[in-house]
Amino acid sequence: MSAATGTGPGVPAASPAPAPATSVTPVLVRLKLSLLRNGLRQSAGRRAAYLTSVVVVLLFAALQLIGLVALRGTAHAATVTVLLVAVLALGWAVMPLFFPGGDETLDPSRLVMLPLRPRPLVRALLAASLVGIGPLFTLCLLAGSVAAVAHGPAAYAVAVPALVLALLGCVALARTVAAANVRLLTSRRGRDLAVLSGLLIAVGAQVVNFGAQRLGSAGLDPLDPVAGVLRWVPPASAIGAVDSAGDGAYGAAAIQLGLALLALLALLGAWQRSLTRLMTSPDGSTLQPAGADRGRTGRSAGLARLLPAGRTGTVMERSLRYVWRDPKTKAAWVTSLAIGLIVPLFNALQGTGSLYFACFAAGMLGIQMYNQFGQDTSAFWMVALTISSTRDAYVELRARALALLVITLPYAALVTVATTALIGDWHALPQVLGLSFALLGAMLATGAWSSALFPYSIPQEGHKNVVPGQAGLAWISVFGGMVAAALLCSPVIALVIWQNVASGGDRWAWLTLPLGTAYGALVAYAGLRLAAPRTARRLPEILAAVSKG
Amino acid sequence: MGGVAVRVEGLWKRFGEQVAVAGIDLELPAGRFIGLVGPNGAGKTTTLSMVTGLLRPDRGTVEVVGHDVWRDPAQVKARIGVLPEGLRLFERLSGRELLGYTGRLRGLPGAEVDKRATQLLDVLDLAGAQHKLVVDYSTGMRKKIGLAAALLHNPEVLFLDEPFEGVDPVSAQTIRGVLERYTASGATVVFSSHVMELVESLCDWVAVLAAGRIRAHGPLAEVRGDAPSLQRAFLELVGAHGRDAGHDLDWLGGGDR
Repeated sequence: MSAATGTGPGVPAASPAPAPATSVTPVLVRLKLSLLRNGLRQSAGRRAAYLTSVVVVLLFAALQLIGLVALRGTAHAATVTVLLVAVLALGWAVMPLFFPGGDETLDPSRLVMLPLRPRPLVRALLAASLVGIGPLFTLCLLAGSVAAVAHGPAAYAVAVPALVLALLGCVALARTVAAANVRLLTSRRGRDLAVLSGLLIAVGAQVVNFGAQRLGSAGLDPLDPVAGVLRWVPPASAIGAVDSAGDGAYGAAAIQLGLALLALLALLGAWQRSLTRLMTSPDGSTLQPAGADRGRTGRSAGLARLLPAGRTGTVMERSLRYVWRDPKTKAAWVTSLAIGLIVPLFNALQGTGSLYFACFAAGMLGIQMYNQFGQDTSAFWMVALTISSTRDAYVELRARALALLVITLPYAALVTVATTALIGDWHALPQVLGLSFALLGAMLATGAWSSALFPYSIPQEGHKNVVPGQAGLAWISVFGGMVAAALLCSPVIALVIWQNVASGGDRWAWLTLPLGTAYGALVAYAGLRLAAPRTARRLPEILAAVSKG
Repeated sequence: MGGVAVRVEGLWKRFGEQVAVAGIDLELPAGRFIGLVGPNGAGKTTTLSMVTGLLRPDRGTVEVVGHDVWRDPAQVKARIGVLPEGLRLFERLSGRELLGYTGRLRGLPGAEVDKRATQLLDVLDLAGAQHKLVVDYSTGMRKKIGLAAALLHNPEVLFLDEPFEGVDPVSAQTIRGVLERYTASGATVVFSSHVMELVESLCDWVAVLAAGRIRAHGPLAEVRGDAPSLQRAFLELVGAHGRDAGHDLDWLGGGDR
């Protein structure tokens, strides 16, 4: 482990260096490498995950590279590459919003005590930011793009500075946005927002997918004007410059290259300014508002009055509040709600859908019953201290299931009716509703069961939903539970199949709604009953399992 | 008065290779202000977690006011209040909502919970922040709202893990006042700390814990013995006295820089 000596965090930069002032750039690059290595040394799982992601990214990058080189000479090469680089730059710009604090070397609050001048610091930080998978991936993509559009010696000559400018532009863009947002990201509300922003990816991906399918039929022609504008916008303008040089438009190439350079300098200037400001003014998160609201006392929430008294209402109220207030819970719910709506509706809109996709809504929302206690984090001790019998545990679990049903039942019904309206198959509505409710009941049952037997911690910071080392547990909990839920539903599924296959069976389609609902309720009741004694008996074990986040 | 609040016998806990608690036998008298002292990593939190039923011991029994913590949890849980260290609260509730939630989970009637919550918020100087989410509270405010939640059901024995850690002097004085009033009524407080001056000024009974074992226990004067302060007695008990490494740092503070 000789690698650890001399490059530990804080050691090199703190050395007084009396000889001709050593540059901070190699120090920060080494610091970044050390942090990367030390992060990997922490656990084998993390190392495996990192190596896997490196391999996947490299494979992906290689495929992109091959694809881009193959694009060489085709009509839309310039359009595609310019758009690709623009999207890449957009990705770099929004990445720090999604992954705040992902890079310790770039956190100015850690460097604030060191005697560093802004200009060398910015240079050093820029160099350090170039280390990592992200920049490597970007480099591959840029190289491919340049290779796809470069024709002739002039274009090759332009390609080298264009590549460097585009890469530096992307990285500097990310850093500038990050520095400008540190104040937001170090405040609690800012971090809440950052967690929620993960949703944009989930929902955005669906929308992009939908758009891409539409575009697939129309071809790339509609994109040409967009690319025509973007080829003048840095850092995509660097690629535009290569293309222009290839076409012999040297003036345009020079302007485009100049624009990329100007943008880079402007970004570095902005970055340096916000770094200086950050390092000389206090962190926004420690500021307390001066006045306190003493006025409102004993406000009784309207919600509480509608809920039953006792533990049931108390737990339901807390669960429902958390859906709205806790960023992790909220993100999980919004994702479930969105996917539960998008999958059946988009499929119906595209005419490829089956009404049975509407069961997605119930299935996605039922997932929220899994790992109930993990959602509490270590605050579960407050619950554990008040559960002293199987009865308490049963009421606790039942209240959580009820809180879930308050949202899920109307939502699943709504999505099913909306999907039916789009497809127009009103005849099958009771079948799908019955199946949905049966599935929901089964999810509640298996969710309660796995909450008691396979709890795991949900980290409160960042986007991960499982802490390292508990991924296996999470897998058993959610996927095992979902398979079990599907199996539990098999009688209702069999009923629906019989109705659709047997001659005259569909006369009995309406029967699925009451039967499925009753079956779901029964299964949920049995599941809660079975999970309660296990919960009551395993309180310390559950607390230990959910306190790792 | 005069009874035993907590009886611990042969308590063991091991985490992998590391033995955190290595066989503790202890009887804590009722009606006292009891300090559980020890250096960092001595096993204070592990011991308190096992005593309060939040962590299952590998071996040993714990009785609180005559009821076994693991065999008779209903009796024990109704009689104890806990303020753990390093565990979260339901931080997305406001201070008042957190108290309302805790009290109702404890089975108290709603009106009573609200009344007690109002009084506790007032006494602990949290009334101004009662509608703020706990996640936005400072350390001192968190400890105070945790204490309020632990006191809400008027427990017989209160367990506090490092209640003064990171708390400002004003909040510390408030917490202290509430705890003194509470023990004066005959209730028992067990709290852990590594700040000896604090323990010396608050407690009348101490147990010294080091490396998972009880080194000394009894009334404060007895444990202190001939030493000038509890701090001295403690350093001797845990064997940390006479460690003076001053001469190795002769460059420190000198003229040359």
